Amino acid sequence: MMNESAIRLDGIVQNRLNFKLGPLHMDIPLGYITAIVGPNGCGKSSTFRMMLGLDKQDEGTIQLLGQQVAQGLDTELKKRIGYLQDQSSPHEDSMKGTEKAAFHRFWYDRWDVNRYRELLHNLEVDDNQVLGKMSKGMRRKFEFALSLAHNPELLLLDEPSSGLDPLAWKTMIEILHRYMDRGDRTILMTSHIIEEVKRLADFIIFMAHGRVLGVYEKDELFSSWFTLFVSGAGLNPKIAAAMPGQCGIEHAGGTTYRITTNKTSESEDWCTAQGYQIVSRQALELDEIMSALLMQDRLSTRAN
Amino acid sequence: MRLPIQISEQSAEPLYHQIEVQLRALIVSGQLTEGTLLPSIRELAQTVKCSVITVKRVYNDLEAEGLLRTRQGTGTYVAQVCEKERDRYRLGAVMDALEQAVIAAKRVQCTEEELESMLKEAVKRHFD
Repeated sequence: MMNESAIRLDGIVQNRLNFKLGPLHMDIPLGYITAIVGPNGCGKSSTFRMMLGLDKQDEGTIQLLGQQVAQGLDTELKKRIGYLQDQSSPHEDSMKGTEKAAFHRFWYDRWDVNRYRELLHNLEVDDNQVLGKMSKGMRRKFEFALSLAHNPELLLLDEPSSGLDPLAWKTMIEILHRYMDRGDRTILMTSHIIEEVKRLADFIIFMAHGRVLGVYEKDELFSSWFTLFVSGAGLNPKIAAAMPGQCGIEHAGGTTYRITTNKTSESEDWCTAQGYQIVSRQALELDEIMSALLMQDRLSTRAN
Repeated sequence: MRLPIQISEQSAEPLYHQIEVQLRALIVSGQLTEGTLLPSIRELAQTVKCSVITVKRVYNDLEAEGLLRTRQGTGTYVAQVCEKERDRYRLGAVMDALEQAVIAAKRVQCTEEELESMLKEAVKRHFD
């Protein structure tokens, strides 16, 4: 399934005075959308900056589109990448949209002015304004259009939708789907918006405290996490704890227990074998899966 | 084109299976005729909100069954479905529905006679 990788991190470590990132190992598959999710300050944006050579790692190696990134990115490689930062740079505040676009046109030889115009049109952006005067969402849309206008092979989006209204958000999703349609392009993104991850991602990477908690294929992830309401004579928390994949038990009245599992099909087999009945089932949302993973992580680090 | 496929995230059935069953039904029932170009993998994944990996799996499975064929670079098309297959499928769906009805009847302790007379009544209502 996993074929070529677009980005590969090998043992990346970054030591900061009050934060240690890594060691990170990541393989971002070519031709897919991968989303990194995790709480604030988990190291997502720092990871992006290192991938782009904007920050230097203390240990480990990074490979981008098959090339080793050693001392910063060379210009040719940069031209194949589109990047949307999580925040707009204040030093560009007095710049006009058209001026920033001219700068991009100068650097990227694959800059496609028609594509740029089309993106501005679809997103309803007027680039004749000074960037500092644009509303937050408008500036975001402008920067988003810029990141795509040179038809990059690899797109890094750091919280692309922050500040967008629901309609603009929908347009953005559509643009990204169309961008991916060719099949040979890759998106790596971070997001806090559950719906966005659900609509876009093929793979999900969970990060916390500067580490990767896990990498999952999206549909597999959602189909393995469920909350089951299990009922049966003699069922008690002690027995329920033996259920495969069990990640939490709550009493739900009588002999019914609310059991969360990350191995749904095995858990169901277990219930059948033990003669317990599954009264009802509920899929977990992304945020619920994340907090369960964080909890497990906390328990396992305490155990060590 | 938008395929009328709907999935339930709450279902015990795996996503790929839900999509596969529905797409197979659309093809074998003749709603999608031979030669119809299916949406691209990314497009279908977007409409049913699943990952492209799942859709790829569905397309591959149905291609292996001979219901779809992929032409390099142009896309995935509906293949020819033979009459026999179509018939088997058509009656199969009815059989499944009947089976479900019988199970439901047994659950509320219906007798065989009651069930038969109910079936006759239902047939009368719809055919006369």
